[in-house]
Amino acid sequence: MKLAFALLVALAFGAVPLITSSNYIVGVGVSALMFTVAAAALNLVYGFTGLLSFAQLGFWGIGGYATALTVMTFGGNFWMGLVYAAILNGGLALVIGYPILRTNRHAFVISTLTFALLAALIARDWVSLTRGPLGIPNLPSPHAFGVVFDTTHKFYWIAWAFAVAMIAFLYALCSSRIGRTLVAIKQNEPLVRAQGIAPMPYKLASFAISAAITGAAGGVLTFHLGIIDPSFLDFYYMQTFLIIVIIGGAGSFWAVIAAGIALSALPEVLRFSADFRMIIYGVILVAAMFAMPAGVAGWFREREVARMREAIR
Amino acid sequence: MTALLTVSDLRKAYAGVHALDGVSFEVAAGSITGLIGPNGSGKSTAIDCLSGFQKLDSGRVSLEGTDITGKPAHLIARAGLMRTFQTVRIYERLSLRDNLAIAAQQFDPATWVDEFFRTRRYRDAIEASEVRANALVDLIGLRKYYEIETGILSYGQKKLVALAAALMPHPKIVVLDEPVAGVNPSRIREIEVALQQLNGAGETFLIVEHNVEFITTLCHHVIVLEQGRKLTEGTAAAIHTDPRVLEAYLGLSPEMAEAEMRGAA
Repeated sequence: MKLAFALLVALAFGAVPLITSSNYIVGVGVSALMFTVAAAALNLVYGFTGLLSFAQLGFWGIGGYATALTVMTFGGNFWMGLVYAAILNGGLALVIGYPILRTNRHAFVISTLTFALLAALIARDWVSLTRGPLGIPNLPSPHAFGVVFDTTHKFYWIAWAFAVAMIAFLYALCSSRIGRTLVAIKQNEPLVRAQGIAPMPYKLASFAISAAITGAAGGVLTFHLGIIDPSFLDFYYMQTFLIIVIIGGAGSFWAVIAAGIALSALPEVLRFSADFRMIIYGVILVAAMFAMPAGVAGWFREREVARMREAIR
Repeated sequence: MTALLTVSDLRKAYAGVHALDGVSFEVAAGSITGLIGPNGSGKSTAIDCLSGFQKLDSGRVSLEGTDITGKPAHLIARAGLMRTFQTVRIYERLSLRDNLAIAAQQFDPATWVDEFFRTRRYRDAIEASEVRANALVDLIGLRKYYEIETGILSYGQKKLVALAAALMPHPKIVVLDEPVAGVNPSRIREIEVALQQLNGAGETFLIVEHNVEFITTLCHHVIVLEQGRKLTEGTAAAIHTDPRVLEAYLGLSPEMAEAEMRGAA
């Protein structure tokens, strides 16, 4: 039932370019899909496993640069670029995750934050590779099977197919016993160990998978924009992913997906008031947090728990 | 009776303080063995060390002849030693069903590949786990809470959930860390009955507990620790009247201590 509904919504999103001829709306759609994928990946590592990772921003940027450099410097194509971005980020996550996942949760947060800042620094200062603040412009349109994805409308299909595939994969993962184990690790790690489960491989895997997906999503968005520069590692992106996860409800798969779409569209909907839109956006977020501190999903959950309590009394 | 768990010459010091100073004991297969002692006598350190939650300085722990000394906690659990914790640990935001399913999942042969393809092996494992969970839920009397998240249960009920979870994978031995501390007295009797039933069905228990009345009703064999050493061991009846135990426990003359203990229980 839930899956049938999700499938229907996915198809409706696939039809967006057929409904509107506006490049603007379709372009917002591409961003919304990539933000949603990145937020879903953050939800895996934060909402499920309980690891607040700011490294997502670094993976996002490294993914963007890796895809762009594959095409512009190393003579590969866009598709290979996405694969490299995913592999590179997955590998990086394993390398940095192995030591920092052994520290406590606070140290983990700080380490990931440092990683993100370091990635931004490298993007800006390793000029011979990244061209520094100039960025890498004029990224060519991807092509496959004789089709050149040279308009926003055509590119949307790539973003859509990628988003559907990643969300389906993450859903399969999160709804499996592996996903349940991640939740168990978040709730009570010593108990998990006492039950014969080693938490480390699970934490490392969720961190690496999340990194790989975030990196590839960054790669897709980079080619939609046609340029990448150090502003792609702006904290704005991390903030967006976090807001989506927190407002949706960390640990709730579909609520975060829905929040991803809604919150990517919200700042655009508010464009009627160009001067105040970001202020209004902020007010809406704060109000939402006041009303639903555990996110939309958390709010529904609390009502459900209250109902259960009532029922067993 | 044969020894299921053998602990020999366990030593552990924190900054020079000998929490365990050469403790040795055995737990016989099929028994309920009690481990008692005053605060700071090293009971908790002992079970943390033998379950892999703390590194021991020296000593040897073996389970059915297999050396498990110093292994990580999850490997000791896989070897068949399950434990509970003094401050109750359960997955409070998961249902009782999930709490029990997770406890057994590492012990079935199904992998994520089996799960993805819903193979026979996976379905058999899930079914076996469900059967066990149902039996345990009936035993602890929490049937009507099966689908409900465990966070809303009372403290005593949570202790029962932790007990059931520890029993899920048919362990060789279950180590209970203060199973009735902080539990409503009316419920202590329920736990006693449940443990006796389980023991009757062949489960072996090692119980650390302050409640002497609980220990003496339940245990076949009792080990008494004091200041990191084994003071004495013997049958529950013998321990209950041993003047050294009474003195160690309460620092009182035997008569006064006896009265005190009855009061505490």
